Amino acid sequence: MTHIVASTGGKGGTGKSTFAVLLALKLSSQGRRVLLCDCDVECPNDHLLLGKELGEYKPIYRDFPKLNPQKCISCGSCSKVCRENAIFWVKGKPPIIFEDLCSGCGACWIICPKKAIETKKKLIGRIFETRVNENLWLLTGLSEPGITETGPVVKEVKKRALKVAEKINAEFLIVDTAPGTHCNVIQALLDCERAYIVTEPTPLGAHDAALILELLSLMKVPSEIVLNRSDVGDSSVIEKMAEEYNVEITIRIPYSERLLRAYSEGRLERVVDLI
Amino acid sequence: MNIVVASGKGGTGKSMLASSLSLLFSQNWRIVACDCDVDAPNLGLWLGVTTYDSVEQISTSEKARINPEKCIGCGKCYENCFFGAIERIDSKFKVNPLLCEGCGVCKLLCPVEAIELTPVMNGEIRVKETRWGFPLVSGRLKPGETGSGKIVQELRRRAEKINHEIMILDAAAGIGCPVIASVMGCDYAVLVTEPTPSALSDLQRILEIVNHFNIPYGIILNKWDINPKASDEIAKWSGDRFLGRISYDREVVNSIVNLTPVILSESKVKDEIKEIFNRICESASL
Repeated sequence: MTHIVASTGGKGGTGKSTFAVLLALKLSSQGRRVLLCDCDVECPNDHLLLGKELGEYKPIYRDFPKLNPQKCISCGSCSKVCRENAIFWVKGKPPIIFEDLCSGCGACWIICPKKAIETKKKLIGRIFETRVNENLWLLTGLSEPGITETGPVVKEVKKRALKVAEKINAEFLIVDTAPGTHCNVIQALLDCERAYIVTEPTPLGAHDAALILELLSLMKVPSEIVLNRSDVGDSSVIEKMAEEYNVEITIRIPYSERLLRAYSEGRLERVVDLI
Repeated sequence: MNIVVASGKGGTGKSMLASSLSLLFSQNWRIVACDCDVDAPNLGLWLGVTTYDSVEQISTSEKARINPEKCIGCGKCYENCFFGAIERIDSKFKVNPLLCEGCGVCKLLCPVEAIELTPVMNGEIRVKETRWGFPLVSGRLKPGETGSGKIVQELRRRAEKINHEIMILDAAAGIGCPVIASVMGCDYAVLVTEPTPSALSDLQRILEIVNHFNIPYGIILNKWDINPKASDEIAKWSGDRFLGRISYDREVVNSIVNLTPVILSESKVKDEIKEIFNRICESASL
């Protein structure tokens, strides 16, 4: 049985990855088997904090539309069903597909009466597996630049993480999410039994943590607050917010030059004592 | 002219900088500031805005619902949902509204018309005439909803209607749909980074997007003095794209605690940002 916990926070740069990596290092140093899963697929950084290079990868492919002009009768059905407005069509002309806007949902090729919209496999992301130490494994998701919907990439990464966790008999799966609250974060938080909301003692930290708390309450994921750089700013804004949302601040990490140095050198194992 | 502030990595100082740049630009031009980080909108706070003149609920997405009476359990919707939003419960299927993107594929495939799509109020557009003499247009995605990119598109349309010469757009972290919606169609990108391996790696990610759209850009190093050696390397690597450095100063944190733009504080960061502003004007041919 693997415990799945998330490191999230709403705001960017509050220390989500730092906390996730520290937690993974701490648990693994206690002899627990841990899989750390970097689900910030647009900007994954956990490997950098661990000083690891990403090696070989498993590609994630998805179908995307490709127009066959020979079969197209210029009816415009595809353009009408596309809710991303990625298909431009003028009466009497074949449509133009803007791949930058396409989410790959498939509505256009399903509706086309002549099967003129064919599909092509497109690389949407990559999954890397790295062994960090005897007890710690890292799974990193990376979306291809230009892919708009990164939620499906996270979905594949999570699927793989559950498999790997089983294979290595992991006691903990730690999911590091992207900032924000949209689809890529929702996908990462699915199935998590607890979330650590990493935030900072500023009005910005409080504002964004409240947004992620609302999402977590909708998803029925219990959570607690990790206050990073707890002595820089005004922690009363976080205490007030925590009271309002009835969550506890369970961990406080003071500002630390030592942490900053370990962070920029990719040697976070030196500062595991901070949590 | 549209100027976007982006970084890839979160917390590098985008909103801090966008707020101060907005004040500086507003001295010579009519500007409108746009908070395009609809997941975590913070530009307002940096501009001292806590209440808005108008808040409009908007709908840029739809959600599917399966009528259990009509569903025959064929599973076509389940097999074809790109977003994994359809769940199997016994022999029937149910939409998980948290994951549904409203693409409509399930409805197209359902052989018995058991699926309906209904618009959802997924966001807000807030407008404020700030005390600094320019308007702020800010978007907000409701937690648990999807469609942040479309909220950005909608808020940009609103901002376009306001008489202005320069639009300052504060983008979200990452390189996905809300960021692409913010960067698209901009004339200049201000990219903020830090001398850490993470920030540099994420800068390279956002550069792929900025270069894809052929947008001229400049690079700013925030908190450069936390690692001067790495900072020198980044400055060198940036070449003539380099716009300048901002120091690490705890006074910046005090500014946000007091909800005041940094440019109005006593921090040394103030002069550094003014210098950077001049370089942006040169670089963007203003």
